[in-house]
Amino acid sequence: MSMGRVSRRQFLVRGTGAMAGLITAMLSVPAVGLLLSPLWAANKEIWVTVQGGPIDDIPEGLPTARIAAVPLGFGPPAPAVNRVVYVTKYQGQLYAFCNICSHMQCDVHWEPSLSLFECPCHGGLYAITGRNVGGPPPQPLSQWVHRVYVDAQGKHYLQIANRLQEQI
Amino acid sequence: MSDSTAGSDVPPPAVPEERGDFAGLVPAPIAGPFRKSWAWFDDRTGITGLLYKGLYEAVPKRGGWAYTLGSATLVVIIVQFFTGIFLLLDYVPSVTQAYGSLLYLRTDDLFGDWIRGIHLWGAYTLMLLIGVHALRTFISASYKKPRELNWISGVMLFFLVLAMAITGAMLPWDQASYWTAVVVTNIPHYLPVIGNGVRALWRGGDFVGPLTLTRTFALHIWVLPALLLGLIGGHLYLLRRHGEFGSWVNYRTTTDDPEKEIAERIRHAEPPYPTRGSEPRYSVPSETVDFFPDQLFKDTVVSLVLVIFIFVMALISGAPLDGPANAATLTYVPTPEWFYLPLDQLLVFFPTELIGFGVFVVVGIGATLMLALPFIDRNPERHPIRRPDVLVPAFFFIGTVIYLAMLGVNRLYNL
Repeated sequence: MSMGRVSRRQFLVRGTGAMAGLITAMLSVPAVGLLLSPLWAANKEIWVTVQGGPIDDIPEGLPTARIAAVPLGFGPPAPAVNRVVYVTKYQGQLYAFCNICSHMQCDVHWEPSLSLFECPCHGGLYAITGRNVGGPPPQPLSQWVHRVYVDAQGKHYLQIANRLQEQI
Repeated sequence: MSDSTAGSDVPPPAVPEERGDFAGLVPAPIAGPFRKSWAWFDDRTGITGLLYKGLYEAVPKRGGWAYTLGSATLVVIIVQFFTGIFLLLDYVPSVTQAYGSLLYLRTDDLFGDWIRGIHLWGAYTLMLLIGVHALRTFISASYKKPRELNWISGVMLFFLVLAMAITGAMLPWDQASYWTAVVVTNIPHYLPVIGNGVRALWRGGDFVGPLTLTRTFALHIWVLPALLLGLIGGHLYLLRRHGEFGSWVNYRTTTDDPEKEIAERIRHAEPPYPTRGSEPRYSVPSETVDFFPDQLFKDTVVSLVLVIFIFVMALISGAPLDGPANAATLTYVPTPEWFYLPLDQLLVFFPTELIGFGVFVVVGIGATLMLALPFIDRNPERHPIRRPDVLVPAFFFIGTVIYLAMLGVNRLYNL
């Protein structure tokens, strides 16, 4: 209140502190912003067609690994990364599984001898529907966001977006 | 004598005659024709005093070979900085070019893979060395008052080196490195509430991608090394402030009147002894030698042997480079580096609901126990035989870690 009671020493101490705080704040805002920017970057949805031609020939009950070149939705320009899409037809349903394990995200594969999806890292097991049946994975096998496209000849093609149905 | 801080009222020791001049210390050209320049430089910097203080520090005489482990750790860390800087001359931190730059080092550069090999074997050696250094410190109870912070800064350095190792393993962008990046950057997502955010920050998105590599690279070459250098400075400062403790063999008394013998030691102590804040009995070793040249010679022998080992292993074994990173593999089995096997094995044991608990609570408790050791161990004894209350649980802890690693080896390599 009464400014006159601030001594010269107090002025110097508080002034130094305030100026140091201002310097820190000026540097922190853009720096922390850059650090955090992936949190609010808009992930642009991009659709790609799964490679290997139409999916009509994929047999019922046998998950079949196909490749899709999936581009990132944001960040510095980078080539699309090949990802696995386990195209699975089972009891009239079509699944487009991503082979990322929900435990530690290792590369899950279909194991014909078990008739299960198996993860090599810590022994996670998933049924053909992606349901958890063993090991530590906390969530089912996730699917790519996907849609089926029919061409003029009536062939079915699978398209996936660059994101998963559930966050794992 | 009982509780008072040892060493008050002790006159500063005189400089012994044999160390009175610096002829042996200052290189001949400086002592000879450049004596005047040296004097000028010394006048402006006080370098002679600094060298004197740095080199003629008293260290315990008995057990000197056991006290070489810290300096050996420092030397190997310097090797890592040195080879790391040279790797930066050719390495490109980009998902499209990192692998190619290391392949170039391997196939087209005569020395490239050798440098990489030294960096890798240096890291392996460093892990073992820090382990043995910590074990030595633990067995000799060197972390007791007033050296609690020496221990704590050392444990923090160990954690930082582990972080250096894991971030470094993510940089080559071959299969091993890519899958290490996937698994390691996924772990923070098990943190409650902020987990997904932390993972997104580290990865630069939901998936491992270009920003994962650049952000990890920044951690590995700037953030962690800066912290490491700062902590090393603190660790060494504390070592010099309190003096090397040594071990129980340095504090035996041989006469009928231990009180008098200890008082006598304190009277004749050389800096940095008597240790401030220590019990009188443990404040001055019975016999000391100068750090230079006695201890430094032993330190150098051990460092030389280790550097030869690293150098030779780098030459004959080098550093592996898998195929380029491939996110679409169905057959690759990601395996952790050997020093992460115990943690990896823990992941197998914690079922669905307990993953976060296992990763953060169990490992966190282990880390906290290591950090808090000086406050947990209140036993005034220094001799390991008389400290079963900490040694037995600690060896059980170490045994568990080794057993987990063996289970991991068995699981991943089907031995």
